[in-house]
Amino acid sequence: MKNDKNRRKTATAFIALFLAMIMLAGCGKGKDDKEEESSKKEFVYVPEYHQIDFGISSENMNISQTVASGDYMYMQVNAWNEESGSENGIFRYNMVEGTLDEIPLELGENDWPGQICVTPEGDVAVIISRTSYELDENGEPINYSSSLELRVISSKDGSVKNSQDITGIFGEEDPYIQYLSMDGKGNYYLYGGDQTIFVISQELQKIAEIKTGDWINGMVASKEGDIYVNIYGEKGPELRKVDLASKSIGESLEGLGGGYGNAEYYTGVSKSIMFSGEKVALYDIASKTQEDIFSWLDVDVNSNYIRGAGELSDGRIWAVYQDYETENSKPELLTVKKEKADNVTPKEEITYGTMALDWDVKRMIIDFNKSNEKYRIVVKEYGTEDYQTGRTQFNADLTTKNCPDLVELSALNYTQYASKGIFEDLYPYMDQSGLKKEDFLENVLKAYEVDGKLYAVVPGFYVTTTMAKQSMVGDITGWTLAEMLDFVEKNDPENIFDGGARESIFYYFIYNNIDEFIDWETGKCFFDGEDFIRTLEFAAKFPSYEEMNMDYSEREGIYSRLKANKILLMQSSISSVQQFQMMMGMFGEKVSFVGYPNNERKGNLIQSTGGCIGLSAKSKNKEGAWEFLSGLWSKEYQESKYSDWGFPVMKSALEKKFKEDMTPEYYEDENGEQIEQSKTSWGYDDFNMEIYAATQEEIDQVRALLESAEKISGNVDEQLTNIITEESAAFFKGQKSAADTANVIQNRIQIYVNENQ
Amino acid sequence: MRLFKGRRDKPAGKSRKTNSNRRDRRGKQISVLYLLPSVIGVLLFFVLPFFIVIYYSVIDDPINAEFVFFDNFVMVFHNAAFQQAAKNTMIFSAAAVPLAVVLSLLLAMMLESKIPFKSQFRTFFLSPMMVPIASVVLIWQVLFHYNGMMNEVLGWFGRDKVDWLNSAYAQVVIVVLFLWKNLGYNMILFMAALSSIPKDILEVAVLESATPVQIFWHIKLRYMSSTILFVTIMSLINSFKVFREIYLLKGDYPYDTMYMLQHFMNNTFGKLDYQKMSAAAIMMAVVMVVLIGILFLTENYFGKDVEG
Repeated sequence: MKNDKNRRKTATAFIALFLAMIMLAGCGKGKDDKEEESSKKEFVYVPEYHQIDFGISSENMNISQTVASGDYMYMQVNAWNEESGSENGIFRYNMVEGTLDEIPLELGENDWPGQICVTPEGDVAVIISRTSYELDENGEPINYSSSLELRVISSKDGSVKNSQDITGIFGEEDPYIQYLSMDGKGNYYLYGGDQTIFVISQELQKIAEIKTGDWINGMVASKEGDIYVNIYGEKGPELRKVDLASKSIGESLEGLGGGYGNAEYYTGVSKSIMFSGEKVALYDIASKTQEDIFSWLDVDVNSNYIRGAGELSDGRIWAVYQDYETENSKPELLTVKKEKADNVTPKEEITYGTMALDWDVKRMIIDFNKSNEKYRIVVKEYGTEDYQTGRTQFNADLTTKNCPDLVELSALNYTQYASKGIFEDLYPYMDQSGLKKEDFLENVLKAYEVDGKLYAVVPGFYVTTTMAKQSMVGDITGWTLAEMLDFVEKNDPENIFDGGARESIFYYFIYNNIDEFIDWETGKCFFDGEDFIRTLEFAAKFPSYEEMNMDYSEREGIYSRLKANKILLMQSSISSVQQFQMMMGMFGEKVSFVGYPNNERKGNLIQSTGGCIGLSAKSKNKEGAWEFLSGLWSKEYQESKYSDWGFPVMKSALEKKFKEDMTPEYYEDENGEQIEQSKTSWGYDDFNMEIYAATQEEIDQVRALLESAEKISGNVDEQLTNIITEESAAFFKGQKSAADTANVIQNRIQIYVNENQ
Repeated sequence: MRLFKGRRDKPAGKSRKTNSNRRDRRGKQISVLYLLPSVIGVLLFFVLPFFIVIYYSVIDDPINAEFVFFDNFVMVFHNAAFQQAAKNTMIFSAAAVPLAVVLSLLLAMMLESKIPFKSQFRTFFLSPMMVPIASVVLIWQVLFHYNGMMNEVLGWFGRDKVDWLNSAYAQVVIVVLFLWKNLGYNMILFMAALSSIPKDILEVAVLESATPVQIFWHIKLRYMSSTILFVTIMSLINSFKVFREIYLLKGDYPYDTMYMLQHFMNNTFGKLDYQKMSAAAIMMAVVMVVLIGILFLTENYFGKDVEG
């Protein structure tokens, strides 16, 4: 009996242990699991990149529209160069054989080709807009009129097969066609931007006018030959059928799409419609099912650059894309082939976790993946569907084995996560790879330090600040809350700053300097102190959002009110030298960058741009992850970025940028003299200004401003702001005294502080 | 013949025994099979997480996982927020649990006696159990809001408004809410226990001229001791769970008198302070075990002479 009991106990213990092992193993999928998972994939999608030689010498070339028919892609290309001016052409590209033909198109002097579509016979229908005018006695054009022609040309020799002036069917003076499509019966569908689709028969006669009831973002013919319009609905982009018989728009297609964001639809080959957003998917209308194929990031293409896509008869997916952010870029063709995973050499995967992928980081990841033979960055976007759920999942993943190798911290509480040991200290990595701290702006690195350790790479930044006229506040670089309140009360302005509702004023005073009310070392709070109570009472003098007159048509501009001292302060970010120049121009006199009030009188705050990326302490590919991160701090990247938004953190890149801002631009006048011209123009509300090369004095001021910022902006725990907002609401409604409100806030926040001691 | 009979008897007896053993074994196997899902469930969702919590409580953080022995316990024990939460939880339980037990027992006694509208009263007291907690909280917010009904009533008597949910009164509000929510269930348990007391004993006591107080004290209370223990334990556990109502009323950081241990744990969990949370959870579990142990001993002492 005793033996039996022991055996039973041992068996139970083993079961418990076994379950424990399963449970612990299930705590998170590690790299090994991921490797195993990826090794289980039977097929992968392999991209092939092809250059298309258009035979156009121009450096400024752009594909304005693509239409596919079978394995042919028809493109409308615009090019511009100084010698010949603007050129337009229609090209036909055989994507299987790689051959390109230009389709001749006869155009008059004032003719412009617009939308194109391809008929079932392979001919090209093109909308040609024509402008005509008369000249007055001075030779100036007058009496403009415009017309539209729908012309069908042979794609072989460009001969005109049919042509019709269609201006009359729109019933307006200056018609414009935004989208053109053709259904399976050969009818043309033209959308002009006024929520109406005009249907024209094959014989070029108008047969119907259909109201869409909403603005549309595109038209597409399904494989079955029906026309669908792309409308942005409540749940993001959706497709609705254009019913020619009932002259109405149908219900949206169920189960099609990829969440919010960009969405383009193309005629399908294997299925009804091809969807292209961040991912590529094929949709079957009959079964209402969507098959997701791959994401554009998987094949190293930036979805923002895609100009057209579709399926080829051999099952490959194609896309034409053009990096319009890079000067003189040319359109390229991508084909994606489904391959057996065994035939492809796998790369080591580095996961990049983010709530939403930053535009610049996306470019950087694509470049990294294309050029790196050993590693590949795989993006995991948490915020694409439901933001809050995604954020909860992101938080949960950070402390498990699911933690991405690289973590984008901009949307998270940087300090909180940094202090949890989740991320690697990056200073040793910098030392190892020869990056010197002194080559970067020390104040920016220091702002992101926690206990002397740096937990994120911040490639660029800008400064958020408060500006005031020096003639009013003096030549100061910061102020305390009491000093600021004294100043405002003394001057008694119409408002402190533009749109200064009591909630925003209170927010301004408190949230960016909340640490002034909390001594984290001793764990004491001072929300029941004089400063806080005074702030509450001060903010209450101003109208609430509800009470404010938000009628912008009657509102006096900011510039005018600043000039008249009706508003005293200007909250703004300074993200470029040109923006700084514009602000100086707007004030029209010397400005003090006083920042947000705090006891140290240092209230200019740093905000990262282009990511704030940490390296997971649990990453098994730290070397590869750092290779990517260090790229963001490379001289090449730092100097190539931040042309008009944000400043690089590398000192030499910043100086180079300053130099560019100081370099004047000239034009030659009729006497051959070099006259300085404006680099660009900037505007803000009722103020506009031409921006010329910056002076040394201006650059010195910007440099001083950037170096004065020592704290990160918006690094306040939402819990604290929630408590203050919740409790202060009762005071602002006149239900409680400021002292009572302050006491409750003090009481509740004290618990928060105690908890975090 | 005898020999033959004996030979026949012996194997027959052995076979019966073997069959019975086989049946026993089979019965055990089947019962194990039936028990297995529950055992696996308990192991997976209770035992294993408990061990994981113990593990987290003795490491510095889930990433480094360095063994720090009792450091987390010391840190949590000295944390002012934890002390506040423990004090509040203790005061709340000390006030709410005895009230929940005594009042529900009184209600049960009252409904046992011959009063009119018994079933209506029973339904009335049970109704809070049927109302979803979110709506209960909503009603409570309306009642105890600064501009709520309670202050309206106080106003009729010329009294100043009280900020019920942001003052020392907050815990009183929560005790009332707790009682309102839990009295009905406890009352039903006591009514069941009262009805199961043997009638003959009560009749004998009446014949022996025992007073109602004596009957209550020496018979009813004795027979109900196990139910009292059960109700006390359930009320104690529920008192620790009052966090749900407070959270719905005032969120993560309520006024300090409403801040309970589960707030502490919930908030530290939210901030990824798993080690802090685990240490607090273990300390709370230890206190619970001690309290329940004391209750068992008490029940054992008072109810030892009463048959099952």
